[in-house]
Amino acid sequence: MTASVITTPIPRTLSGRLAGHVNELGLIGIIVLLYAIFGFISPGFLSANNQVNILRDGSAIGIAAWAQTLVIVAGEIDISVGPMVAFISVLMAFALKWHMPLAVSLCGGLVLGALLGSVAGVLRGIFNVPSFVATLGLWSALRGLALFMTNALPVSFDDNDTLDWIGDNVFGIPVSAVVMIILFAIFVFVSRKTALGRSVYAVGGNASAARLCGINVTGIRILVFTLSGLMAAVTAIMLLARLGTGNAGAASGLEFDVIAGVVVGGTSLTGGRGSMLGTLLGVLAITVIGDGLVLYGINSFVQDVVRGVIIVAAVLLNVAAARRSGRAGR
Amino acid sequence: MITIPVAEIRQASRRYPGVVALDRVDFAVQPGEVRAILGKNGAGKSTLIRLLTGAETPDDGTVLLAGEPFREQGEGRTREAAARGLRAVYQELSLVPSMSIAENMFLGAWLRRSGMLDHARMVFEARQALARLGLTLDPSLPVSSLSPAARQMVEIARAFLGTPKLVILDEPTSSLAAAEVDQVCAAVRDVAAQGTAVLYVSHRMSEIRRLADTATVLRDGRIISTLPVAEARTEDIVQMMLGRSEQARQITPQVGGRPLLSVQGLSLPPKLQSISLDLKEGEVLGIAGLLGSGRTELIEAILGFTKPAAGIVAVDGKAIARRGYRSMIRRGFGYTPESRKEDGIIPLLGVDENTVITDFRRVDRIGVLSTSAIARATRGVVERLHVKTAATTTPIGTLSGGNQQKVVIGRWIHARSRILLLDEPTRGVDVEAKNQIYDIIRGLAREGRAILFVSSEIEELDQVCDRVLVLRDGQIAEEHTAPDIDAERLLAACIG
Repeated sequence: MTASVITTPIPRTLSGRLAGHVNELGLIGIIVLLYAIFGFISPGFLSANNQVNILRDGSAIGIAAWAQTLVIVAGEIDISVGPMVAFISVLMAFALKWHMPLAVSLCGGLVLGALLGSVAGVLRGIFNVPSFVATLGLWSALRGLALFMTNALPVSFDDNDTLDWIGDNVFGIPVSAVVMIILFAIFVFVSRKTALGRSVYAVGGNASAARLCGINVTGIRILVFTLSGLMAAVTAIMLLARLGTGNAGAASGLEFDVIAGVVVGGTSLTGGRGSMLGTLLGVLAITVIGDGLVLYGINSFVQDVVRGVIIVAAVLLNVAAARRSGRAGR
Repeated sequence: MITIPVAEIRQASRRYPGVVALDRVDFAVQPGEVRAILGKNGAGKSTLIRLLTGAETPDDGTVLLAGEPFREQGEGRTREAAARGLRAVYQELSLVPSMSIAENMFLGAWLRRSGMLDHARMVFEARQALARLGLTLDPSLPVSSLSPAARQMVEIARAFLGTPKLVILDEPTSSLAAAEVDQVCAAVRDVAAQGTAVLYVSHRMSEIRRLADTATVLRDGRIISTLPVAEARTEDIVQMMLGRSEQARQITPQVGGRPLLSVQGLSLPPKLQSISLDLKEGEVLGIAGLLGSGRTELIEAILGFTKPAAGIVAVDGKAIARRGYRSMIRRGFGYTPESRKEDGIIPLLGVDENTVITDFRRVDRIGVLSTSAIARATRGVVERLHVKTAATTTPIGTLSGGNQQKVVIGRWIHARSRILLLDEPTRGVDVEAKNQIYDIIRGLAREGRAILFVSSEIEELDQVCDRVLVLRDGQIAEEHTAPDIDAERLLAACIG
């Protein structure tokens, strides 16, 4: 009776474990390959200066992508990221223009981001509006509101040393990249080591079962959108610091890069499966592709075509890998 | 004159990995005959039906429709069967909710006039088909606006459209109230009089006696007997369904013990009528009942999923007025749902996370989940319940049904639940795991937990229960106490 029924791991789980990381290993391979190709064909791609650029561009996508990973793991989607970033940066620019203290302006922006995110969360969690539709509404409304308020003109404000520092580098590394890395560590911790993070996976994996186990499914849904809004606000601060003005047309198409980074990183759009490390690699791949193509001097419209093809190909591979490892439980 | 059977099965067998679902079965049904099909879960009823509808191909033997074998193989078979006049109504509904009743009735075979859909004629014919069942529904209403019972009636009406040769009704009345059952019975007799054969899968003897000419009893993949209903006694049919069963274990009933859960006068019309019960510490209380008898509704009302029209639910002697599911969990309830795959497991997560999910606080240290505490808690459950898994982190979706079920029960042991409501905990589980689950349940009761064990598999109730309540038509019809729980008498009480 006391004999343990847990046997030592058999090859089946060993391959299962490998399959769990096939995606990450594959992405690292792809990134190395991209570096090799672009290093060869794009002048200056391997320069230290360009690496800093990649970090800075990556942080614009990455910060929002950490929260988007949780949103997608929970089985939802948030497409309002770009307009949310622009809208919040415009409001913060106005606040600074009217000589509000920097701390108040930025904190106000963060609170606003969380509130706007929670609106999407409440629409999904309580009123059962599909998250695609709820955030599509926000996407349109926020972009429109920002353009209306600014008349599509940049909102400038007095120079601010602290904000300039945020837009600059420390020890040669962009501050935004440092913020991104710190937030990455926090999101890795939350997603793996807290009840909340695991509940997100449970809700995305089987919402009905999670509810019957006593998890507050509605609360989790509201929370992931709130986090997504908050991270959009952080991105807005970085954008404001970098541009020095509030711009209603900024961050156009950012949601595309964010979602692409998450999905290329192996997170399943059906929910329940995905990792922060995957998203990190996915964001890096997306950024490297964008940067490399620009340096190579390809027509910017063709860049969009190449990105689109790469993203669909990555997801195809992801689906095939999931089927191969047979973890779908069907 | 020799009539050709509308459907015939000759010496057909069907095997699945580890089970023989049908074993050299001979079966035939004549035009205009109403045949009841009886048998407990896993006796082979569904497989028999699936052979006739073409959803399955026999491993050996042949299936004939109107004396001719199937021409098609594989996927094409079901379409061929439908084209040759076979209709089936299953328990799970197959209507498109957003479409109208008329469109649903002609789904995929919409009536056309010069290339366009002929709505007027579809509505007209749908109205006639509904009238046959005594329904006066407007056929242009969307199905989503109908009650579950009305949807079931629409499905039945659809099966009777045109002039089918054979109609198969699989527990058609489980969601229906008495008046609607009368209408279904009348309609069945009506189409039978016009020469349509009907296979009627049900366990309600009262219905079977009213409409069936003959009954076929299946057990363990074999046809035990086909007999005229008029001459058959209910006890004989029960005996055939169960076969000889050996009393494997004797339950000595728990006496004393304070009631942890008491329910008084719980009503939820039309499904539940004034249910009262006491569930004591250390007791396993069985709820026996057919599909549609109100089993699931009772559990849902206790747990606060639905608000009953009347009645009191008390825990530890204190009535609880406002019940929410999560507050009931905090009071010490644990619930394992009937459909393990849809509502029980989170397939991609490991056994460990599927276990500790009911109470993260017991495995976290100041807000941080402890990997070692999770592993320890999971190992405790895995060892105690004999879960066969390669590692505690193995995704639960890769485990067998029995092992998944043990984890689903084990997660409430982890949460230290005192009152466990187990809805069909042995469904889809192999024999060995079933016996282990019975042992687990007895063990949990010995620790002083109270267990409500809901099952439609009558012959397992005497293996685990101290007491069994028979639920019939939303009422508690009988109470049996161990050691005098007898499967045959329970089944007779269930089928009424």
